[in-house]
Amino acid sequence: MRLPQFTYHSPDTLEGVLALLDEHRDNAGVLAGGTDLLVRMKHRLAGPKVLVSLKHLDSLSYIKEMSGMLCIGAKTPIIDVIRSDRVKQQAPALVQACERIGAVSIQHYRGTIGGNILQDNRCIHYNQSQLHRSGRQPCHKDGGKICYARDEADRCNSTCQSDGATALMAMDAHLVLNSTRGEHRVALDGFYTTDGIHPFDMQPDELLTKIDIPVVPGAVSAYQRLSYRSAIDYPIVCAGIRLVPDQKDAGCIGSARIVVGAMSRSPLFLAKVSQSLAGVRFDDNTAFDRAGKDAMNAAATFAAHNAGADLAFRQAMVEKMVGRALEQAAAQVSMKIAR
Amino acid sequence: MTDYTLIGKRMPRMDSRAKVMGKALYTADLKLPGMLVGKILRSPHAHAKIVGIDTSKALALPGVKAVVTGADTEGVKWGVFAYTRDQQFIQTEKVRYIGDEVAGVAAVDEETALAALDFIHVEYEVLPAVFDPMTAMTTDAEPIHAEFPNNINIHVNIDTGSVDENFKKAYYIREDTFTAPEESYFHGEPYAVAARFDYDDCLEIWMPNGGPHMKSKPLSNAFKIPLHKVKVKKITIGGAFGGRSEICPADYICALLAKKTGRPVKIVFTREENTIGTRQGHAMITTHKTGVDKEGRVLARETTCYMDGGAYSSTGPIATSVPFLSMEQAYRMESVRYNGYRIYTNKPIRGMIRVHGRGFACGLDTQLDMIAQHLGIDPVEMRLRNSRQPGEFTSTGSQVWSCAMDETIKKAAAAANWQDKFGKLPPFHGIGIGTNSVQTGFPMGIRGGSQSFVKFNEDGEATVMSGVVDNGQGNENMLVQIAAEELGLLPEDIHLVSADTETTSSDPGSYSQVSTFVGGQAVKNAAANCRQKLFDVAAKILKADPGKLTAKNRMIYVTDDPKKAVSIKKTVRVALLNFTSVNAEGGYWPRVDMKREWVSNPYGQMCEAFSFGTTIIEVKVDPDTGQVTVLNAVACQDVGKALNPLVLEGQFEGSVAMGGQGGMLTEYHDWQEGRCLNPTMLEYKVPLACDMPEITGIIVESVDPRGPYGAKEAGMSIAMSAAQAYAGAVSNAIGVYMDSFPLTPDKIVAAIREKRQAGK
Amino acid sequence: MQTIDITLTVNDHQQIIPVKPNDTLLEVVRDYLDLTGSKEGCGEGVCGSCTVILDGHPVRACLTLALEANGSAVTTVEGLADGDTLTLLQQSFIDHGAVQCGFCTPGMLMSAKALLDEDSSPDRQKIRQALSGNICRCTGYAKIVDAVEHAARPEPGCPDCHTKETGGDHD
Repeated sequence: MRLPQFTYHSPDTLEGVLALLDEHRDNAGVLAGGTDLLVRMKHRLAGPKVLVSLKHLDSLSYIKEMSGMLCIGAKTPIIDVIRSDRVKQQAPALVQACERIGAVSIQHYRGTIGGNILQDNRCIHYNQSQLHRSGRQPCHKDGGKICYARDEADRCNSTCQSDGATALMAMDAHLVLNSTRGEHRVALDGFYTTDGIHPFDMQPDELLTKIDIPVVPGAVSAYQRLSYRSAIDYPIVCAGIRLVPDQKDAGCIGSARIVVGAMSRSPLFLAKVSQSLAGVRFDDNTAFDRAGKDAMNAAATFAAHNAGADLAFRQAMVEKMVGRALEQAAAQVSMKIAR
Repeated sequence: MTDYTLIGKRMPRMDSRAKVMGKALYTADLKLPGMLVGKILRSPHAHAKIVGIDTSKALALPGVKAVVTGADTEGVKWGVFAYTRDQQFIQTEKVRYIGDEVAGVAAVDEETALAALDFIHVEYEVLPAVFDPMTAMTTDAEPIHAEFPNNINIHVNIDTGSVDENFKKAYYIREDTFTAPEESYFHGEPYAVAARFDYDDCLEIWMPNGGPHMKSKPLSNAFKIPLHKVKVKKITIGGAFGGRSEICPADYICALLAKKTGRPVKIVFTREENTIGTRQGHAMITTHKTGVDKEGRVLARETTCYMDGGAYSSTGPIATSVPFLSMEQAYRMESVRYNGYRIYTNKPIRGMIRVHGRGFACGLDTQLDMIAQHLGIDPVEMRLRNSRQPGEFTSTGSQVWSCAMDETIKKAAAAANWQDKFGKLPPFHGIGIGTNSVQTGFPMGIRGGSQSFVKFNEDGEATVMSGVVDNGQGNENMLVQIAAEELGLLPEDIHLVSADTETTSSDPGSYSQVSTFVGGQAVKNAAANCRQKLFDVAAKILKADPGKLTAKNRMIYVTDDPKKAVSIKKTVRVALLNFTSVNAEGGYWPRVDMKREWVSNPYGQMCEAFSFGTTIIEVKVDPDTGQVTVLNAVACQDVGKALNPLVLEGQFEGSVAMGGQGGMLTEYHDWQEGRCLNPTMLEYKVPLACDMPEITGIIVESVDPRGPYGAKEAGMSIAMSAAQAYAGAVSNAIGVYMDSFPLTPDKIVAAIREKRQAGK
Repeated sequence: MQTIDITLTVNDHQQIIPVKPNDTLLEVVRDYLDLTGSKEGCGEGVCGSCTVILDGHPVRACLTLALEANGSAVTTVEGLADGDTLTLLQQSFIDHGAVQCGFCTPGMLMSAKALLDEDSSPDRQKIRQALSGNICRCTGYAKIVDAVEHAARPEPGCPDCHTKETGGDHD
């Protein structure tokens, strides 16, 4: 498959990248690992006239801890995240999520954590060849007025299938965006529009440079996902969890964050279900099961037939993924206590 | 037992070296001087009239060298059989599926060729389309082919008689319907074709194929040039699995572009084109009604199967028959009636595939398990009571000379610890058995036989010519192994010339499981004839009886007195000095009933040998998520004689992957209005290394009286039985007999939920 | 379209190659350098047939821009053998029957080499994981896993281990 034509730049500095983004704006595409963008370009789903490569921005590839934050440079390869002891300790859910991205030789070396967060939303009716998309009305995301994933839908029902974003949102991560206008910090759970066509609340001249994960004492996290194969697959449903123990009673949950992914235009932070776990004991599996059910009820309405697998099945599996991630996270607490 | 030098030995394949070095050339790797890039414009509509085509803008594009449309053809329709001629290589009047060929372009590079496609303007009048075979039979809409009312393409009717009477005698009768959607080959290599006309106006053409001679005839017809002017050349092939046997419209389009431009042209398919623009497996809806006696023996069976054939006939008559044939070969039935219908729909064309009729076969075995449970019979015992026995005739009158089906069942059951496991495993843990039989060939008229030619070179090495093609399964090595064994040479002394229509004689091809049985036997005979010529010469040198010589390790010696020996090289040179030929030919034609015909007369000897396979699978199911983990896989096949166990094991393992792991757990096509939603490997889930179980392969040798060294079909019975065993194991694990295949997690979870609700 | 010169060390030979911005590394090695061992099976980074080793790591050549590889070292399947002498890994693929149609073989070898370069004695599960991005339709992977395992640890008594060397010197 042949890529369309474009001009290519690989600036040596962040400033150089930002200047190009400022100059070309909507005509520019940012090339990190290329595992998402280049496939869309081959299918003519994206056609940036200018590709701005981050090839030389090694300064955006790091994992470090700074002022209560685990900081990961946006260009850090997936493999570095997986192999980082620091991430394993502070954000196990992110390691679990990254391990499930693609397969070793596809995504882990070329793919980056920033690219995973910013991978475009997907839909089985949209992520297809030109031949497939011709001979029918274009869908919303393809510039038309129709949705093939949900009847009568007046807007795009594509899905965010990022493993990384789901795990990171559970850990209350923040993103740092840079532009020639300056730096801008945004909570991941406030980063999404409700528009499947342009899912990210981000200006065309902005570059994702850093991901900050708050290091919360005693916090545990877990990630669970379902797909039909063990590799080279996007999740059809996934869940990220972070549990923070109560400051007074370490056997109880102080606060919880439940995020369901691959169901909607963005990962869904389920605030109400999360709150319901405050005060629940870490060994209360009944409460976890109930939270799983509640999460399913909250998340299911967002889902559309856009990921290949049976829709009702995906919806039903929210309960299992949330329940299992909760149990897995809680088990880490007892392990910590045992230690 | 005969002591062979090479036959029966674990021999690494001769062709592997070039492949591990990256030197083996596949069609897409070819570069010919002046070569152009070809692309095909395909229909974006499932069913539409072609009102007009304007190619002027495309032709005006700099770098575009030719554009061809149906107007450049003579509108001739092609078909595998005289009564299935329904497909034009480029459509002139209407398109019948999304992907149908409408035009072709040749340009200096890929970008220009792709741009040219966008500049071809086609005006369509969209017609109502049908995507479901049951609707297609009853719709009032314009039929897909005017000559086939109700969109019924093929109807195969087989009736042994006494079916209704035997149902009356039956102790227990069940009727169940089973469904399975389409599957695809997903060959490693996407389809590609390169063509040029040489200085002598001969068409030279390279493409993956299941038999070069099956490609040359339709091209000779289409271009109205004699067969000797169509040179289908040998090239490495990246898999076939039954899907590359016939002419592909791209072959014709590529050749036509080469003719028009006077330059070589190469067309390389995208992965999506390989899925929608070649062949797929049929979707099937199968109803089995089975009546048994008290002991579980089948007295009567009535099977009706509706197959979604897609837009054209392809190998339709064969496809409509084979699932039934595998059933009647594997299992004895006192009486049977079969009605198979292949229905046209506005979807891609369906052909033969390695696991042809998974829904049919898995349905049959599932129903056997249901009957066994009702009668309190163990599934293994149930199969032994109905299994084919040597010497018997199938329902349609094929005699089965070699058969060790019972041995495969018993050995597989022992290796899988069936007795300790069936009915004794913890919840959501199950074991299942599948048994099947595959025919070693079928009647193919004048192309049923294979001929080979062997010549000795003056250095004592030999060149072997054979029309047999290697799609990846190891046929070339098989021929070398046989030739070296017969000639008394080492494998490296054999130079093989194969799969080339200019230099090799006709051969049935590799898609009917006869490469070893027919093609290998032809080489064996040719080599034996050649050896005999050398023996006549050597006998004079050694002053011995030519009937009492042995050739081995580059030497000819007196069998009873090995010290009396002469080298093959010397024998060849002595022969040439004495005006004696050191070349020979040989052939093999299977003795089948030439009057047998798929539709008009489906009775008589189908082929000379049948393979029998048993697979047993043990699984664990996650009841919450429906995920299946395979704990153990045992594959056991009666292959007649294992010529090369190393290669055979590879066939078994690949069969378990494609038939069982993929075919029964994850692989199916999903559609929206005739659009294939999963045409690439991203959404179509072929098995991965991390999901495959370890596999135990067991070879059973019944030594077929007619096969070369006793060999017959190998591998396919495993692909089929693996699908059945996976289905049985999952059903056993969850306690629900599944009737909709493949068994994806959503279906498993739904079945468990329904069972729980029913239990409340 | 204008071409840009890149410097690429391919199989230990450094060369300057004029490329177009929209050329992939796969197109460059196949079409410009005639190294057709690396295959395009899907073009979208799924099948793994185009896997090459770029600066020590396996990557998909079909999803790597040639320009992005500027200044890098690339090893393709053609760079494994030393003249006519195969590596232990290549020989092990032959001996264990790991090659059928051969289309996935080059990519499979590159992923396996990358694994063995990092871990000279991986267990079967780790081998399966490392090869999980390389699709093979013929073999069911069993003999490929055998071949990689035995390239790292030739097994006494294995009927197919023809190479008697021990240890993990696979290249």
